[in-house]
Amino acid sequence: MSENRSHNPLNPALSRRELLSLAGRGVASLGVMSFLAACGVKGSSQPKVKGLQVLPAKAGQLVIAQWPLYIDQDDKTKKRPSIEKFTQATGIKVTYKEVIEDNESFFGTVRETLARGEPTGWDLYVITDWLVAKQIRLGYLETLHLDRLPNFTANAGAVFQNPSYDPGNLHSVPWQGGITGIAYNPKLTGREITSFDDLFDPKFKGKVGMFTEMRDTVNLALIGQGVDPLKATIDDVKSVQQRLLKQKKDGIVRAYYGNEYTDALAKGDIWVTIAWSGDIFQLQDSSPDLKFIVPKEGGVLWVDNLVIPKGAAHPTDAHEYMNFVYRPDIAALITAGVHYIAPVPATSDIIRQTAATAKTKNERDALMRVASSPLVYPTQDMESRLHHYKVLDEAEEKAWNDLFQKVIT
Amino acid sequence: MEAALQRPRRVRTPYLLLLPGGAWLLVFYLVPTITMLSVSLQEGSLERGFQLTWHWQTFTDVVGNYSPQFIRSIEYGLIVTALCLLVGYPLAYAIAFRGGRWKNALLFLVILPFFVSFVIRTLSWKFILADEGFVLGPLKHAGIVSSGFRFLATPGAVIGGLAYNFLPFMVLPLYVSLEKLDKSLLEAAEDLYSSKFTSFRKVTLPLSMPGIFAGSLLTFIPVVGDFVNASLLGGVNTTMIGNVIQREFLVNNAYPVAAALSFVLMIGMLVGITVYAKILGTEELTG
Repeated sequence: MSENRSHNPLNPALSRRELLSLAGRGVASLGVMSFLAACGVKGSSQPKVKGLQVLPAKAGQLVIAQWPLYIDQDDKTKKRPSIEKFTQATGIKVTYKEVIEDNESFFGTVRETLARGEPTGWDLYVITDWLVAKQIRLGYLETLHLDRLPNFTANAGAVFQNPSYDPGNLHSVPWQGGITGIAYNPKLTGREITSFDDLFDPKFKGKVGMFTEMRDTVNLALIGQGVDPLKATIDDVKSVQQRLLKQKKDGIVRAYYGNEYTDALAKGDIWVTIAWSGDIFQLQDSSPDLKFIVPKEGGVLWVDNLVIPKGAAHPTDAHEYMNFVYRPDIAALITAGVHYIAPVPATSDIIRQTAATAKTKNERDALMRVASSPLVYPTQDMESRLHHYKVLDEAEEKAWNDLFQKVIT
Repeated sequence: MEAALQRPRRVRTPYLLLLPGGAWLLVFYLVPTITMLSVSLQEGSLERGFQLTWHWQTFTDVVGNYSPQFIRSIEYGLIVTALCLLVGYPLAYAIAFRGGRWKNALLFLVILPFFVSFVIRTLSWKFILADEGFVLGPLKHAGIVSSGFRFLATPGAVIGGLAYNFLPFMVLPLYVSLEKLDKSLLEAAEDLYSSKFTSFRKVTLPLSMPGIFAGSLLTFIPVVGDFVNASLLGGVNTTMIGNVIQREFLVNNAYPVAAALSFVLMIGMLVGITVYAKILGTEELTG
């Protein structure tokens, strides 16, 4: 990955987490019954959610499974301020393990145990939205006591509440999010990019980057055709496939990229490309020219979520943690550490205040960059155009994969 | 009495000697192959689990869906093998016949790239050949190549990368066969008024056939299955069968499809290589 990441004073390691997250979403391939079906709207299956469990007394312990480098961390001491503050404030000791390399393989480690109805050993873990929907459907997640999460209700941004993959946040609260949109270099394109159609402009022949990642590409392309992914039919996907095949045939696509698209973009090999917001925030550190937009047709918001697996030993403590990370000062620590889309918009002001008291200019600039970036705090205009991934059942997932595979091979 | 006791032991000895190799083959070749065959005949998904249903249709499906990638991989394999032979033979010849006391040093230079990770070596070509990199950038400024020219993300880049990465696999067997060649045979040819070219054609080349045979196989087989070069240096329409298998296994989790693809590739290669060996004559290998 490009060297610009190493001298970011806030968190040099973001790219890694991004990479892992993307790898995880890349590996995303299990069939998922649509959440609507799980809710019985289609009447095809019954929800296994048994409703609220009575919460036991606080245990003073909490075991969390997380992705590597996905929290505020002091580079020198390796301590995690937000976790330490949690222990100070609540007396709960946290066992914090960075064991999640990607959604699929982590799910593999707990699947059998959850299927047998036994405790996994985790009180909380963080997984991406589509996997949340699947685990809800399988009945693997505890129902949340939202009355225990007043900070979430009060402080979470509008796009992070009541998402389509978990209506009413009955089983999950967001940890961090990101946007799939378009990035470009205005110096090379010679004009501003506003639309998904710009990826098909013959003027950019051989200079357009597309993704090998099915979920992102197909959902974004559906939105680009004016189709809401949640309502997309297989015919919509076939029409997307035809459009993408033509784009390839016309020589407009240079290559289909994984995470390495950032290098190609930074080097000027590609001028305009599908992109993830977090990557572009990092790249802008060394290539300030680069821009990221949510196309006028819309973009995809993906969200990683805190969830409590069935059989968790310390659910009360888990609720306390979920509530704690939505305290604006704590959320600000985490956002300043990881630079993803902040689930708590109020953190922007807090980070600005921290910047005002920062000791060095570097630190101040870095904090200000986070606080004022639309890639961390999307504008209302951007937010209004964001969609979630369609949650796919097994047959749909196979059909989408097969159609998409034809495009990229 | 003693002799009668010893005889069975002597008969057993070769089998005992075969045991480690046989066990190795059993554990690391036969078992995975059978497992893979079984997986290729299963149906299901990670979520539901996979069941053996003898679903042979997967094989016809993968051949139908991915024949362009199969053909492309074999095409690339043949071109790369020919390129490596073209570059590798003179190189091996020079080291073997003109290397003198530098022989070992020169051989070491051939292997030197192996001291750097395969992926890093390939990645560095991306930097060297970047559209506006330090090679193409100045050439474009000087107007020697057009500003829209690119080498990366083309079939040429993939073939070049493969040839670069697999050249040593060609050079080393060639060197071994040329090095052990009895020089007095060449003197004899000269004594019989053979020209340099004729003695090369009639003596050196036939005697180095085992090297050409081994080098070609060592190059061709891994090249056809490679996916690193195509994914790092390739672009649109350069996808090789290795990329398809990798994606089906690790991204789509379509294990049966991936296993069937691997099987088709393996069988295809075995058949092709058998024919190749028949044509070139295997007795030269053992002799």
